[in-house]
Amino acid sequence: MTLAAIVCFLIAGICGTYRLLIGPGLADRVIALDLTLISLMGAIAADAARRDDATYLPLLVVIAIVGFTATVAASKFIEQEHARDPEVGR
Amino acid sequence: MSTLANIFMLAGGLIAILAGVGVLRFSTSYARFHAAGKASPVAILVTGIGASLEVGWDGAAYLLIASAAMVLTLPVGVHLLFRAVHRTSSNDHLLTDDLAPAEAAQPRS
Repeated sequence: MTLAAIVCFLIAGICGTYRLLIGPGLADRVIALDLTLISLMGAIAADAARRDDATYLPLLVVIAIVGFTATVAASKFIEQEHARDPEVGR
Repeated sequence: MSTLANIFMLAGGLIAILAGVGVLRFSTSYARFHAAGKASPVAILVTGIGASLEVGWDGAAYLLIASAAMVLTLPVGVHLLFRAVHRTSSNDHLLTDDLAPAEAAQPRS
Protein backbone atom coordinates (compact mmCIF):
# COMPACT_ATOMS: atom_id res chain seq x y z
CA MET A 1 0.00 0.00 0.00
CA THR A 2 2.81 2.41 0.83
CA LEU A 3 4.55 1.13 -2.27
CA ALA A 4 1.52 2.31 -4.27
CA ALA A 5 1.92 5.75 -2.68
CA ILE A 6 5.60 5.80 -3.66
CA VAL A 7 4.65 4.86 -7.23
CA CYS A 8 2.08 7.69 -7.27
CA PHE A 9 4.78 10.18 -6.26
CA LEU A 10 7.08 8.68 -8.87
CA ILE A 11 4.46 9.29 -11.58
CA ALA A 12 4.03 12.89 -10.39
CA GLY A 13 7.81 13.33 -10.47
CA ILE A 14 7.96 11.97 -14.02
CA CYS A 15 5.24 14.44 -15.08
CA GLY A 16 7.23 17.27 -13.49
CA THR A 17 10.47 16.14 -15.10
CA TYR A 18 8.85 16.02 -18.53
CA ARG A 19 7.51 19.54 -18.12
CA LEU A 20 10.99 20.55 -16.89
CA LEU A 21 12.43 19.31 -20.18
CA ILE A 22 9.81 20.70 -22.58
CA GLY A 23 8.63 23.80 -20.66
CA PRO A 24 8.24 26.75 -23.00
CA GLY A 25 9.38 29.38 -20.52
CA LEU A 26 11.88 29.67 -17.72
CA ALA A 27 9.14 30.01 -15.07
CA ASP A 28 7.48 26.79 -16.27
CA ARG A 29 10.74 24.97 -15.72
CA VAL A 30 11.07 26.46 -12.24
CA ILE A 31 7.62 25.30 -11.13
CA ALA A 32 8.22 21.89 -12.73
CA LEU A 33 11.42 21.53 -10.73
CA ASP A 34 9.48 22.53 -7.63
CA LEU A 35 6.87 19.84 -8.32
CA THR A 36 9.61 17.25 -8.84
CA LEU A 37 11.20 18.17 -5.50
CA ILE A 38 7.81 17.91 -3.79
CA SER A 39 7.28 14.48 -5.29
CA LEU A 40 10.69 13.49 -3.94
CA MET A 41 9.65 14.76 -0.51
CA GLY A 42 6.45 12.73 -0.55
CA ALA A 43 8.29 9.62 -1.70
CA ILE A 44 10.83 10.01 1.12
CA ALA A 45 8.00 10.37 3.66
CA ALA A 46 6.16 7.30 2.33
CA ASP A 47 9.40 5.31 2.27
CA ALA A 48 10.11 6.27 5.90
CA ALA A 49 6.64 5.02 6.85
CA ARG A 50 7.15 1.85 4.86
CA ARG A 51 10.42 0.94 6.60
CA ASP A 52 9.36 2.50 9.94
CA ASP A 53 12.66 4.37 9.99
CA ALA A 54 12.99 8.11 10.67
CA THR A 55 16.62 8.39 9.55
CA TYR A 56 16.01 10.28 6.30
CA LEU A 57 13.20 12.55 7.52
CA PRO A 58 15.49 15.60 8.17
CA LEU A 59 16.01 15.60 4.39
CA LEU A 60 12.40 16.77 4.04
CA VAL A 61 13.09 20.00 5.96
CA VAL A 62 16.22 20.67 3.92
CA ILE A 63 14.46 20.04 0.58
CA ALA A 64 11.53 22.29 1.57
CA ILE A 65 13.80 25.21 2.47
CA VAL A 66 16.10 24.76 -0.54
CA GLY A 67 13.11 24.52 -2.90
CA PHE A 68 11.58 27.75 -1.58
CA THR A 69 14.90 29.60 -1.80
CA ALA A 70 15.43 28.37 -5.35
CA THR A 71 11.94 29.46 -6.42
CA VAL A 72 12.31 32.96 -4.98
CA ALA A 73 15.80 33.42 -6.41
CA ALA A 74 14.72 32.21 -9.86
CA SER A 75 11.67 34.50 -9.94
CA LYS A 76 13.76 37.53 -9.00
CA PHE A 77 16.32 36.48 -11.62
CA ILE A 78 13.61 36.29 -14.30
CA GLU A 79 12.25 39.74 -13.46
CA GLN A 80 15.62 41.49 -13.27
CA GLU A 81 17.13 39.85 -16.33
CA HIS A 82 13.98 40.55 -18.31
CA ALA A 83 14.26 44.23 -17.41
CA ARG A 84 17.81 44.17 -18.77
CA ASP A 85 17.28 41.86 -21.77
CA PRO A 86 13.69 41.31 -23.00
CA GLU A 87 14.56 37.91 -24.45
CA VAL A 88 15.13 36.36 -21.02
CA GLY A 89 12.16 34.54 -19.51
CA ARG A 90 10.31 33.80 -22.72
CA MET B 1 -3.45 2.68 12.74
CA SER B 2 -1.58 1.18 9.82
CA THR B 3 -4.63 1.08 7.55
CA LEU B 4 -5.44 4.73 8.29
CA ALA B 5 -1.82 5.72 7.60
CA ASN B 6 -1.87 3.84 4.31
CA ILE B 7 -5.09 5.54 3.27
CA PHE B 8 -3.64 8.97 4.04
CA MET B 9 -0.42 8.28 2.15
CA LEU B 10 -2.25 6.89 -0.87
CA ALA B 11 -4.53 9.94 -0.91
CA GLY B 12 -1.45 12.18 -0.83
CA GLY B 13 0.05 10.28 -3.74
CA LEU B 14 -3.15 10.62 -5.77
CA ILE B 15 -3.26 14.37 -5.10
CA ALA B 16 0.37 14.58 -6.23
CA ILE B 17 -0.61 12.77 -9.45
CA LEU B 18 -3.34 15.38 -9.95
CA ALA B 19 -0.73 18.13 -9.58
CA GLY B 20 1.59 16.37 -12.01
CA VAL B 21 -1.11 15.87 -14.62
CA GLY B 22 -2.12 19.51 -14.25
CA VAL B 23 1.45 20.70 -14.74
CA LEU B 24 1.84 18.40 -17.70
CA ARG B 25 -1.44 19.00 -19.52
CA PHE B 26 -2.61 22.56 -18.87
CA SER B 27 -2.07 25.00 -21.68
CA THR B 28 -1.05 28.31 -20.10
CA SER B 29 1.60 29.14 -17.51
CA TYR B 30 -0.97 30.51 -15.07
CA ALA B 31 -3.01 27.30 -15.13
CA ARG B 32 0.13 25.20 -14.62
CA PHE B 33 1.21 27.31 -11.64
CA HIS B 34 -2.27 27.01 -10.22
CA ALA B 35 -2.22 23.21 -10.44
CA ALA B 36 1.25 22.92 -8.91
CA GLY B 37 0.83 25.60 -6.27
CA LYS B 38 -2.51 24.49 -4.85
CA ALA B 39 -2.26 20.71 -4.97
CA SER B 40 1.36 20.19 -3.88
CA PRO B 41 1.12 21.52 -0.30
CA VAL B 42 -2.04 19.48 0.23
CA ALA B 43 -0.27 16.36 -1.04
CA ILE B 44 2.68 16.91 1.30
CA LEU B 45 0.35 17.68 4.21
CA VAL B 46 -1.80 14.55 3.74
CA THR B 47 1.24 12.33 3.20
CA GLY B 48 2.87 13.84 6.28
CA ILE B 49 -0.19 13.03 8.38
CA GLY B 50 -0.17 9.44 7.15
CA ALA B 51 3.57 8.95 7.62
CA SER B 52 3.58 10.52 11.09
CA LEU B 53 0.93 8.02 12.17
CA GLU B 54 3.44 5.32 11.24
CA VAL B 55 6.90 6.53 12.30
CA GLY B 56 6.21 7.78 15.82
CA TRP B 57 6.92 11.06 17.59
CA ASP B 58 10.52 11.60 16.46
CA GLY B 59 9.69 11.38 12.78
CA ALA B 60 6.39 13.21 13.28
CA ALA B 61 8.29 16.27 14.49
CA TYR B 62 10.35 16.40 11.31
CA LEU B 63 7.26 15.81 9.18
CA LEU B 64 5.45 18.61 11.01
CA ILE B 65 8.30 21.05 10.40
CA ALA B 66 8.57 20.07 6.73
CA SER B 67 4.81 20.26 6.13
CA ALA B 68 4.52 23.63 7.88
CA ALA B 69 7.45 25.01 5.88
CA MET B 70 5.86 23.73 2.67
CA VAL B 71 2.39 25.13 3.39
CA LEU B 72 3.81 28.51 4.43
CA THR B 73 6.44 28.99 1.73
CA LEU B 74 5.12 27.40 -1.45
CA PRO B 75 2.25 29.91 -2.00
CA VAL B 76 4.77 32.73 -1.57
CA GLY B 77 7.11 31.26 -4.16
CA VAL B 78 4.32 30.55 -6.63
CA HIS B 79 2.99 34.09 -6.15
CA LEU B 80 6.41 35.52 -7.02
CA LEU B 81 6.55 33.30 -10.10
CA PHE B 82 3.08 34.48 -11.12
CA ARG B 83 4.30 38.06 -10.91
CA ALA B 84 7.45 37.27 -12.86
CA VAL B 85 5.41 35.66 -15.66
CA HIS B 86 2.98 38.60 -15.64
CA ARG B 87 5.85 41.03 -16.09
CA THR B 88 7.78 39.07 -18.68
CA SER B 89 5.15 37.62 -21.03
CA SER B 90 2.19 38.87 -23.00
CA ASN B 91 -1.17 38.79 -21.23
CA ASP B 92 -3.47 39.08 -24.20
CA HIS B 93 -5.22 35.78 -23.51
CA LEU B 94 -6.50 36.91 -20.09
CA LEU B 95 -10.16 37.96 -19.89
CA THR B 96 -9.60 40.24 -16.89
CA ASP B 97 -6.28 41.46 -15.53
CA ASP B 98 -6.37 43.11 -12.12
CA LEU B 99 -2.61 43.18 -11.67
CA ALA B 100 -1.85 45.40 -14.67
CA PRO B 101 -3.47 48.63 -13.32
CA ALA B 102 -1.89 48.02 -9.91
CA GLU B 103 1.52 47.59 -11.51
CA ALA B 104 0.99 50.69 -13.65
CA ALA B 105 0.06 52.79 -10.60
CA GLN B 106 3.08 51.77 -8.53
CA PRO B 107 6.78 51.89 -9.36
CA ARG B 108 8.37 48.47 -9.59
CA SER B 109 10.29 47.20 -6.60
